Amino acid sequence: MTTALRDFIKNPTAAELELVARYGMQPEDARRERAFLAFAETGLPHRRMEGWKWTDFKAALKALETPAAASAKDPLPDDGALVFRFTPKGFEAPAKLPDGIRMVVQPGVQAFPGAEDVPMGALAAALAGGGKRPATLAFEITSSEAPRLHFVFEGAGEASFARIVFLVRSGASLTLTESYLGGAGLTASVLEFDLERGAKLNRTIFQRGGAGEALAVTGIAHLGAEAEMTQTTLAFGAKVARMETRVVHQASGSKLNLNAAYLSGKGFHADITTNVRHGAPSCVTRQLTKGAVLDGGTGVFQGKFFVPRKTGQHTDADMQHQALLLEDGAQVFAKPELEIYADDVECAHGNTCGALDDAQMFYLRQRGIPETQARAMLTEAFIAEALGMADEAVRDVLLAEAQNWLSS
Amino acid sequence: MDCCGGTTEHEDDCGEVKVKDSIDAKTVEAAKALESENYSAGFATTIETDFAPKGLSEDTIRYISAAKNEPEWLLEWRLKAYERWLTMEEPTWAMVRYPKIDYQAYYYYAAPKAGAKYASIDDVPKEILETYEKLGIPLREAEVLLGVEGAVETAAEGREKPRVAVDAVFDSVSVATTFRKELQKAGVIFMSISEAVHEYPDLVKKYLGTVVPQSDNFFATLNSAVFSDGTFVYIPKGVRCPMELSTYFRMNAENTGQFERTLIVADEAAYVSYLEGCTAPMRDENQLHAAVVELVALEDAEIKYSTVQNWWPGDEDGKGGIFNFVTKRGDCRGDRSKISWTQVETGSAVTWKYPSCILRGDDSVGEFYSIAVTNGRQQADTGTKMIHLGKRTKSRIISKGISAGKSDNTYRGLVSVNRKAVNARNFTQCDSLLIGEKCGAHTIPYVENRCASAQLEHEATTTKLSEDQLFYARQRGIAEEDAVALLVNGFVRDVLQHLPMEFAVEAQSLLKVSLEGSVG
Amino acid sequence: MRPMLKITDLSATVGEDSEAKTILNGLSLDVPAGEVHAIMGPNGAGKSTLSYVLTGRSGYEVTGGSATLNGEDILGMDPEERAAKGMFLSFQYPVEIPGVPVMTFVRTAMNAQRKARGEAEISAPDFIKKSRDVAKMLNLDAEMLKRPVNVGFSGGEKKRLEIYQMMMLEPKFLILDETDSGLDIDALKTVADGVNAMRDPSRGMLVITHYQRLLDYIKPDKVHVLAKGRIIKTGEADLALRLEKEGYDGVLGEAA
Repeated sequence: MTTALRDFIKNPTAAELELVARYGMQPEDARRERAFLAFAETGLPHRRMEGWKWTDFKAALKALETPAAASAKDPLPDDGALVFRFTPKGFEAPAKLPDGIRMVVQPGVQAFPGAEDVPMGALAAALAGGGKRPATLAFEITSSEAPRLHFVFEGAGEASFARIVFLVRSGASLTLTESYLGGAGLTASVLEFDLERGAKLNRTIFQRGGAGEALAVTGIAHLGAEAEMTQTTLAFGAKVARMETRVVHQASGSKLNLNAAYLSGKGFHADITTNVRHGAPSCVTRQLTKGAVLDGGTGVFQGKFFVPRKTGQHTDADMQHQALLLEDGAQVFAKPELEIYADDVECAHGNTCGALDDAQMFYLRQRGIPETQARAMLTEAFIAEALGMADEAVRDVLLAEAQNWLSS
Repeated sequence: MDCCGGTTEHEDDCGEVKVKDSIDAKTVEAAKALESENYSAGFATTIETDFAPKGLSEDTIRYISAAKNEPEWLLEWRLKAYERWLTMEEPTWAMVRYPKIDYQAYYYYAAPKAGAKYASIDDVPKEILETYEKLGIPLREAEVLLGVEGAVETAAEGREKPRVAVDAVFDSVSVATTFRKELQKAGVIFMSISEAVHEYPDLVKKYLGTVVPQSDNFFATLNSAVFSDGTFVYIPKGVRCPMELSTYFRMNAENTGQFERTLIVADEAAYVSYLEGCTAPMRDENQLHAAVVELVALEDAEIKYSTVQNWWPGDEDGKGGIFNFVTKRGDCRGDRSKISWTQVETGSAVTWKYPSCILRGDDSVGEFYSIAVTNGRQQADTGTKMIHLGKRTKSRIISKGISAGKSDNTYRGLVSVNRKAVNARNFTQCDSLLIGEKCGAHTIPYVENRCASAQLEHEATTTKLSEDQLFYARQRGIAEEDAVALLVNGFVRDVLQHLPMEFAVEAQSLLKVSLEGSVG
Repeated sequence: MRPMLKITDLSATVGEDSEAKTILNGLSLDVPAGEVHAIMGPNGAGKSTLSYVLTGRSGYEVTGGSATLNGEDILGMDPEERAAKGMFLSFQYPVEIPGVPVMTFVRTAMNAQRKARGEAEISAPDFIKKSRDVAKMLNLDAEMLKRPVNVGFSGGEKKRLEIYQMMMLEPKFLILDETDSGLDIDALKTVADGVNAMRDPSRGMLVITHYQRLLDYIKPDKVHVLAKGRIIKTGEADLALRLEKEGYDGVLGEAA
């Protein structure tokens, strides 16, 4: 079977051939095939694709191999939370879930419209499942007081794939935290959220992996009328790590806070990519991404607001990306993009990129704070701004993780 | 100099200041951009024309080269570019859509039959002179002088009297260059590039294709193969060019592509300000314009390049109009050099244009000031690239996009900072204004920073024309279209102030004309 | 008696190599402990440059002369070392520090200075008490001290916050750079009260100002006129009044 499948991808690399082989071992499923074809159209995304010019999975991921480094320890607390654990071969869930949360382990693949836009998400959808792992894990949230759901992605292996789908019913709210701790050569997950009228989602993503790993987290959310979504990402990168989020405001009055911080050290690459479609009138987006990069590290920010004709009227959207290059040899690439077809809108974006502000440094030092301490203080405050809207249960932990990294 | 030399309509006013006004008025008329019956630059001139065989082949290129009596090295250069072009693909990444261009359906060379070389301006065929006169382009030296004096007095700024030397390109060939002698005295070389190839072959050979290489991109490579004429400017060491230099381009012949090539070299500590203006007649077909402009600034030199582009934009339904695919690039080759691009883009059906600066010299400075107006079915994808290579290089980008009608207006820019460009600085501001609900405004900045000591800052906003402001102005008795013009002028002020004065006045009127019918 | 701050023949430039401009040009000045000296001068005379050179801001290069605080050469020190020695600059344009609350900022500064001097850290209750007392005296809202340093503060609030920091850190030598600019009369009084409360036989002050107004509230012991990078005239408090009346040109013309 794999010989015929080989032709799915033009001039495949060793890693792509292994992915094709993994697909070949999955049960036949028309939806799975569509998802895989969406991935196969390009294969592992690479620099010649506009959306991937700074984050090249094809070049970074030569073969599927178990990396040398073990998973990082999960800093996010799990007390009071319902914990779900994905490893390259296994899946664990609480035996019992409280009222207001229903979980369905679907053996088949759920339809995935728009898979072509997110090749790594399509790959996750096509290869999720097998063994104990669900092809699609679905949740329905009907309570406004459901406990936090905590997803952990860890464990050694060649590759780990997951697809999780959430339906948050009208008036209900979901607090979700995800820890991507590395351990697999390739981790790809896709999470989809459907928020009905007035539903709320607070999502936090913590990512820390090894310098030999590739990771792609794809989130896709549809916001109903007056729905509210707040997302906070703290990413430390990997050999390549892409945290991609696509949000559609699909009924009026929905609100989105989309925040992220990335911290890239030597040999690490962190990519924050977002795409927000204002497909309904009077929706609000506030987006803040902060980054700090050391010698040999790479930070990528790509943000896009799309405001279609007529339906996007009265859009209020603001996108800010600010990056600090803390040392020589750091690099940051940014593309904050606006595509606007409606006239009665307020859209703005800003992008700054550079070293710490000299005037601020001098002010602190004039007050007697030594240079290294002043630097740490300013950088922490800089990063902290992007983490302030994370759920209370994890906010301080995120800050502490950022501080530890900055002071080491 | 006899001040009444060229004009007919305004002789009485010579002592006064009216001639410039008349030029403005004519230029403005010439730019009645959108309703086709109002585009008064849309007339065609009937003169006998020599064409190269239609279509593009090695023979076409040999024909062009022979017609211009070019040296062997240049023919070789063209053929090499052509060979390369055959292997290239037309770019598709810009946010513009247009029917597939049949490169064999164009004439690549069209010259007025009388030939391109005229001993004096009086030998230029009357029809061509009339064309320029209709366009309000000051071909006659006297006319120019008068006009500009008028402008100076109107502005009463007490600034040094600017004068403008003009090179006029009609279809494929340069027909007249004014002020040649006076410029020669200052050591400034200002002539058509075809002449320069013969008169200053070493200079041309030394710099041609060094900023925009032959195989740079699809359109630039096409230009390298078939470029017909254009302007060559050389400012020697330490010379401040005594007047503004200007080229007017006019596409006249049907089914003609225009492929001019401009090369401006400012030697050490030299300064020049150069203006470029463009028009084309109304035609149903799309005419192709693929120009290349190369600027070289050596140590301490400064080049200021200003463009007002109002090529025929096509009619309301998007029929006809110019496809404007232009490669403009400046090389700040020497330390402390400076290149400044200012553009007012109101014409063309499709614009694909990114005037850029390579900031190679330490402490060199690049600037890009742009106003792009689209209306009707126009599509513009324009912006700049600032490539920071030298230490302490600075760049500044101010872009104002105004979209009306059913048009799309995209800013696309790159700021790239090399690891060695310590303490580089960039500031970018991109503002978009939407007038009406059927247009689009897009901002696509790329930022690549590889240097920790660089500081880059980018701001962008997209807003609609404020109803409150519009009402306020109208309540005070200002007619709606004037109120729009007033507000738009306020919106673009940061850029207008970077245009040479006589261009700024023209640009303001152009904006107003371009936006006619966009509200109400 | 040895002056507390002694500046001798100080010259300094600003800007990079080829474009460096000389701003201070052989400036000499002595301020003994316990005295308040005013420096007045026209725009561009080098007033702010003097404050930055004394506190060690980068971008200014000392090309000659010396400056000592209590006999110690300060020009070779880092800004924070000078601060620990007791130099405090009240900025003309206080800098915004997003994300860092005032209290955190000042406590960090205080403890860093104490550490540099080999002193023990201040305890949290002591710090809070001191802060409350100072804030009360300056009419500062406690809420303001929880906000990030200077972010969203009005011009007057920023200047009052400078005085707050000064009173908290209790420096030995104060430089007030155009502290009166942007203040209305009430704010000016509050600020002057704060500064006057700091007057002490062991403390020196340099008050840099363009206008005489501030000196109605902070009476100087001496007034120096700074022009073209050096002190060209020194007098008693009444010199400020003369400058106000006759203008810099009048007084300078006489001096020249």
